Amino acid sequence: MTQRSGTSLEFDFVCSLSDGLHARPASQLAEVAIVFASDCFLTNLRTGAVASLKSVLAILAADIRQGDRCEVQVRGSDEQSAHAALLRFVEQVLPACDVPLAGLHPATAAGKLPRTLQKAGVKGYFGSPVSPGIGQGKVIPLSGMVLPKALKTRAAADPQSELAQIKRALAAVRARIQEKLTHPQSPTETAVLQADLAIASDVSLAQKLAEHVLQGRSAGQAVMEAGEFFIDLLRHSESEYIRERALDIEEICLHLLQEIYGVDLQSAAIELCEPSVVVAETLGPQQLLGLERRWLKALVLEHTGATSHVVILARSLGIPTLVGVKNARSVLLAGREVVVDAIRGFVVPQGSPAVRKFYEREQKTLELRREFLPVQTTGPAITTDGKTLEVAANASSYEEVSLAFGKGADGIGLFRTEMAYLQRQRPPSEEEQFAIYAETARTAAGRPVILRTFDLGGDKGAPYLDLPPENNPFLGYRGVRIYTEHHELLQAQLRAILRASAFGQVQVMAPMVSSLDEVLQFKAAISQAKQDLARKAIAFRSDIRIGVMIEVPSSAFILDQLSAEVDFFSLGTNDLNQYFLAADRDNPKTAELSDVLHPGFLRFLERIVADIHAAGKWVGMCGEMAAEIRHLPLLIGLGLDEISLPAAGIPAVKRAVAQLSAAECARTLVSVVACRETAEVEHFLEGAQPPQSAQPLLSKELVLLGSQSKDKEEAMQEIVDAFYIAGRTEDRQRLEEALWSREAVYATGLGYGFAAPHCKSDAVIADSIGVLRLNAAIDWGSVDAKPVNMIILIAMRESQNPSRHMKVFSRLARKLMNDDFRGHLLAVENAHEMATYLAQQLEISLH
Amino acid sequence: MKVVAVTACPTGIAHTYMAAARLEKVAKTLGFEIKVETQGAMGIENKLTEHDISQAEIAIFAVDIAVEERERFNGVKVIQVPLQEALKDPHSIFAKIQR
Repeated sequence: MTQRSGTSLEFDFVCSLSDGLHARPASQLAEVAIVFASDCFLTNLRTGAVASLKSVLAILAADIRQGDRCEVQVRGSDEQSAHAALLRFVEQVLPACDVPLAGLHPATAAGKLPRTLQKAGVKGYFGSPVSPGIGQGKVIPLSGMVLPKALKTRAAADPQSELAQIKRALAAVRARIQEKLTHPQSPTETAVLQADLAIASDVSLAQKLAEHVLQGRSAGQAVMEAGEFFIDLLRHSESEYIRERALDIEEICLHLLQEIYGVDLQSAAIELCEPSVVVAETLGPQQLLGLERRWLKALVLEHTGATSHVVILARSLGIPTLVGVKNARSVLLAGREVVVDAIRGFVVPQGSPAVRKFYEREQKTLELRREFLPVQTTGPAITTDGKTLEVAANASSYEEVSLAFGKGADGIGLFRTEMAYLQRQRPPSEEEQFAIYAETARTAAGRPVILRTFDLGGDKGAPYLDLPPENNPFLGYRGVRIYTEHHELLQAQLRAILRASAFGQVQVMAPMVSSLDEVLQFKAAISQAKQDLARKAIAFRSDIRIGVMIEVPSSAFILDQLSAEVDFFSLGTNDLNQYFLAADRDNPKTAELSDVLHPGFLRFLERIVADIHAAGKWVGMCGEMAAEIRHLPLLIGLGLDEISLPAAGIPAVKRAVAQLSAAECARTLVSVVACRETAEVEHFLEGAQPPQSAQPLLSKELVLLGSQSKDKEEAMQEIVDAFYIAGRTEDRQRLEEALWSREAVYATGLGYGFAAPHCKSDAVIADSIGVLRLNAAIDWGSVDAKPVNMIILIAMRESQNPSRHMKVFSRLARKLMNDDFRGHLLAVENAHEMATYLAQQLEISLH
Repeated sequence: MKVVAVTACPTGIAHTYMAAARLEKVAKTLGFEIKVETQGAMGIENKLTEHDISQAEIAIFAVDIAVEERERFNGVKVIQVPLQEALKDPHSIFAKIQR
């Protein structure tokens, strides 16, 4: 197929790669071409787009998809050898480039919109909700490609010196990437770095930059404009893979800007001035803290880690957050009004009447739910068989502490003191810390407060610490490890903590302990602080309880030794899990591996708790694992003395504890640690959820009369919302879908204006009957084709199948065939009467 | 005339029992003697015995799923209809029998 046409050598080929000619093969192709003096061009015969083979960006922009026929033309002094090399590459190397990079596409939650929104044709973008809530505002993409105002106005010097600046910056960026490439990398990282290097070396990019400078732009403006040009080009690609490469260009441009201006633009704060939804790939904790809280309504991150520090922080600040929203920065346009639903897990554009109506209703539902679900502010959480579990709160500021006690916290199980160290040029003074801790102790009014000494390093840096950059910060210099070097900083904090201990039950805990020696040094530091205070006759509690975090697996194997030195332990399951499973919890590619329900990890926890209890010491859990209600049977089964979680979850957790039996939970744990895989563990957990005995089948909250719903979708939503308000479901989306999938078999309209939708689903926490009577009849696809104005909904828990309530359900079904019964249901005057009549007819209790 | 019937639907929570009640009621008004077995979430209830089946002239299957222990009905005349028929128009089922 090779031929000479005019003065050039040509051949053509068909792209066989399923992702198209994407970044990796494109950069390799450019590497082959660039060593030759000849001009090498490629034409995509489908689109007619022509690209220089020496430019990765140009190749990507030609948008070559699987099946596209391309023509390669080579012309110049060394065309023979260039042609041969390119042909060899296309025939032998290119087909092997089809192996996708492992996990390069982050796992995203593919979800469904609620039916009322689906029906209105609303488009949603899905992600995993990691900090619950609903936020509305304008999209503010944090792309990093924003020039601070001061730099924007900087005028261009003469073109030649601007050009020289750009060349210097390009060379520096390339050198930095090459330097990184000399360190050991995973194949994925290497491939990504190589693609970055190809962009930084790209001839088209260099050309574009020069063009802009020669037109009188400053070096910075040229980078911005050239970057935008290519980003725009790639974003219009048909291939998702190539669209994602736009982010790489953005990153390279950002590095260039940093080289040119010598400032860290990434941490340049964005000013919010109206309700905003910040959209970013990911955020550092500092960046989040730098955003104006008043206007930050929600966060949307492309990144998937559900336990990254930014997520933990967002949760404790109560900022609704979605993670794993694919291409969020490309699909969510800047300035657009959106609603972030971090209860269900999607973003939808605000503005359509359906969305407005949906969220007006949602607001009422949430208010009603808050009113209905009583907040237990007093009283410990006790299981049905009399075991008490302390339910404490995690906090990182005094504001959160007072919020936590308002929610019924039994104490503060983890006070992340380091949050006060971030986002500032100097560390907080002893006095400043003392004020916070003392106020916390007073507010706690005798309840325990565990202050964890600063856990800095890793992803939590501070300028005054002068921490070196690390290849692997989570395995690096952080937590207790930096205390020797920052001795004075620790002393100031310990004195503040000790002084606060005079005001309440303050306890002190060290982070990231991996050896006995660290504990001994920590205790020595406490002794020194005590001596200092004693010398100055300042009051403190001399028997302050000292504890350590169990986060590093090595510490879990010397618990007998540690127990001889400390009073208590707290399991930091986020880090413990990531170190135990050797899976980076912030890495979207391994996020799935960092799984707290791994049977091996559960066995590990079981052993840790047993060892600590054998030594007669106290153990709590403050990791994210403790925040999920579905984990409760395990946590109680483990025999933990305390769990500590974000304050918002406390009332629900306390209610759930009161419905579980410790003896049964212990049995659940035995079964679960014998499981062979996580899926099996999850199955057991489903079955071990708080029993339904506490909930009657029917209550008047589940009876809605006088409904205004206009169609089947609305009616279904209204009744599911009633279940949510009454605490019968935590997952409306799943319950709704279970009902609709039954409707899909055939509609449940049974004639006479009645419908009986039903499902088996563990989305309900108890078997339930709901009633909705409509003012105006709606279509339900009934057998007699008549509209429906009376809906009786039956929801049964799947894992308790067959349910002990089946007899009642079948009785209800049979009665629906009875004219008198139906007549009565249509005639009763109010919800109370309806509930009473049904209870009597079905022979059930309402209590 | 004596008939037997089996009702069964996919979830076995509601329609199995609604259809059974409906068939029983209509049979009574039409003067049939009927026994209806339900195959729902509680398993088989009101089970048709060998004797019941041998006495019946016809068996009605108002079902959306396979009938369990189908072999009991070998050699018996069976009318099978979608379960919804029993709710929509039970009279026509009995009309078919009489023809």
